[in-house]
Amino acid sequence: MSTVTTVVIPARSPIRRLWYAAPVLAVLLVLPWVAEQYQTILLAYGLVMAIAAIGFNLLLGYTGLLSFGHSAYFGVGAYAVALMVKYLGVVSMELHLLGAIAASVLVTAIFGIACVRYTRIFFSILTMALSQVLWSLAFKFFWVTGGTDGLRVPTPTLLGVVTGKGDKTAFLVHQYYYYVLGVFLVCVAIMWVIVNSPFGRALQAIRDNETRAQFVGIPIWRYRWVAFMLSGVFTGVAGALWVPLNGLTTPDILHWTFSGKIVFMAVLGGFRTFVGPIVGAVVYNYLESYAVGYTVYWQLFLGVILVVLVLSLPTGIVGTAERLMARRRGPR
Amino acid sequence: MAEVNRRDFLSGLGVTVGTALTALPGVLPSVGVAHAQDKPKGNIPDTPFKIGHMTFFTGAAAVLGEPMYKGQLLAAEEINAQGGLLGKRKIEILKADENAGTDANVKELRRLKLSEKIDFFCGITSSGNTPALGPVAEELKVLTIFVDGCTDFLFDKAVPNPHYIFRITNMQSADGVTGAVAAAMTWPRTKRIAHIHPDYSYGRNAFDHFRIVMKKMVPGAETVSEAWPKLGTTDFSSHITKTIAAKPDLLAISVWGGDYVAFYKQALRYGMFDKMHVASMIAFGVAPHAIGKDHPEGIIAGVHSNYHFTYPGGDKWPYNKTFVEKYHKRFNEYPNFQAEGGYTATYMLKTAIDKANHLAGGWPEDDAIISVLEGLMMAAPAGYVYIRPDNHQGYKDAITGFSKNVAEYPFPILDPNRIITIPIRNITAPPGWPKGEPTSTYTWIDKTWPQVAMAAEPAKAPGAARPATPAPAKKQ
Repeated sequence: MSTVTTVVIPARSPIRRLWYAAPVLAVLLVLPWVAEQYQTILLAYGLVMAIAAIGFNLLLGYTGLLSFGHSAYFGVGAYAVALMVKYLGVVSMELHLLGAIAASVLVTAIFGIACVRYTRIFFSILTMALSQVLWSLAFKFFWVTGGTDGLRVPTPTLLGVVTGKGDKTAFLVHQYYYYVLGVFLVCVAIMWVIVNSPFGRALQAIRDNETRAQFVGIPIWRYRWVAFMLSGVFTGVAGALWVPLNGLTTPDILHWTFSGKIVFMAVLGGFRTFVGPIVGAVVYNYLESYAVGYTVYWQLFLGVILVVLVLSLPTGIVGTAERLMARRRGPR
Repeated sequence: MAEVNRRDFLSGLGVTVGTALTALPGVLPSVGVAHAQDKPKGNIPDTPFKIGHMTFFTGAAAVLGEPMYKGQLLAAEEINAQGGLLGKRKIEILKADENAGTDANVKELRRLKLSEKIDFFCGITSSGNTPALGPVAEELKVLTIFVDGCTDFLFDKAVPNPHYIFRITNMQSADGVTGAVAAAMTWPRTKRIAHIHPDYSYGRNAFDHFRIVMKKMVPGAETVSEAWPKLGTTDFSSHITKTIAAKPDLLAISVWGGDYVAFYKQALRYGMFDKMHVASMIAFGVAPHAIGKDHPEGIIAGVHSNYHFTYPGGDKWPYNKTFVEKYHKRFNEYPNFQAEGGYTATYMLKTAIDKANHLAGGWPEDDAIISVLEGLMMAAPAGYVYIRPDNHQGYKDAITGFSKNVAEYPFPILDPNRIITIPIRNITAPPGWPKGEPTSTYTWIDKTWPQVAMAAEPAKAPGAARPATPAPAKKQ
């Protein structure tokens, strides 16, 4: 990754970028009132996965580390919620989010110490191995985690007032969708600040040339470690938000194949751009849901898409779109 | 509790070997048979009746799960040939692959209901999936009959007060209990038991119930080995060698589907079946043609305690005879218990709709269909199936038997002369029994079954070491 030169996107001011985002935001806001219920639920899933994907991309796109273990932090977030419900009877979504953040900070801090000393394939393998450890714990300690049955999580209370008693579908389509959208926007804003901060620039310097970054005086391991934790926390928040949508946690979300999905999303959208993983997550979610619904060959379908993507659109949907737009504007 | 001898115990359970059938009440609704039925009352729309059917269409589980789709398809084609439900609404089945994983299945069920607007949801093989999908079906208010996914956990805990969801095949605990009762009556002198079960809720359920029954019926038998291969395992050599090394005289196994096919082929190479008796809960649960003639004879080859297409055989139970003929004609293969489940579920639905229409006219509301389904009993290919109103669970007499090769079929079947049947009432917790750990049936057996006396068997090797009380079963 460090050998490929990044395509330099002409820097536009954040305010200009917000203009581009405004119509998208408007669509997201009115969607529950115009689209059918299922579309809104599917988009809620997409936004949740987008939070996980931007977290993941802080490592891949900005720090140059390919994690194959992000299922672990997604799962930690989800299981933190489920265990809080099971043992403490907590139903407040805000407390769930705080618990998920605390749990993922703890786990990523420990995993990070082990992982950030390595790069490239060694980093990927190590993250994957550690996530598999969590998976087998969830799988084997069934008297705590419910094993493959998973743990059921009742509908949470939002902001201490919205309870979702009654029609769960209506709750997911309106109150919960807006809640997810709100958290999503906050996460995107925070991530935007992170990657454009001096810290974010330092990560990119580490990605592009580790040795030079070291000479400049950047404490590489520590920066990677912090990036690792931040990345995991975003993914953990996504895990917590995902639980009410699915209704229960199962070890499936801790399995490395789930990490593979997150990687797929980032690659699909384009991990060299900020919005790429967001687009990738939403699009992947549609692809998977409709592929499963319409054909029993859904695995083949997704596999072909991945192959085509890597061969013909290595910069993903957003990267390709930006290149096409730049070309249309004419040579600079 | 007073101790009894094993023979009294078995006759108390009502276990029969061979063939026994009771007379057929004339008024009972039955599957696949044209009744002289009243004309539907009121206005019936002619929009298609959409069924969402989810089962394993891919993966190692498909060889066991996919026939449930075929069973439902056959029933739907028969009903459509007569004009559809209430003579008007043709059945349309939308397929979905259960192999996509639990979270994708939840999403898919939502899509089927909210986007495709299905009228009815059916299918599901894995007991890992019904506890996830059951609550979602309730919250979507979609009328559902699960064909399998038979974990006790679903109605014990996940959805203790079901309204929209039902399940047609026997409760999972019946599986371990049936396997153990059959093993205890066949090999009463068992002393050393080994277990191989898939490492998830179904395997643990089979393990728990097999153990509690053996504790009651064969006191002194001890568990000498446990192996827990992951679901989807295709290499069993380490589990096989470990089990053989423990020198058991009985192996209890609940590995299923394509996993079991891989298992028995590998076990043959180790001569495993010559070294011990084998009691399987679900060996012959797969589509019959998936098992080869190389399969050992004389093992207890369970059918998930539900159904094998050879029983009731001959002309004794026409519903089975015609079902097997029709199924074979349509798909050029023989049905397994899932096929029977899918077929019967569809006819149960039809019967409930017919009755509800007869009572109120027009297309019945879901609530009307539900209240007819509750307590409905039908004559199905497998025998009588009864839907208990309190937990929406289907009950039918449990069966198992012994593998045997016969000339008529290119695969082994259950030995027709040694079919074991047990009235389901005698091996499952009754209505009102308090929810228990790990299951209600487990605590019910533990508290109410008598203990077979150790000396009941003819004296044999004196001083056989046995623990005074068997180790307590693992808590879930």
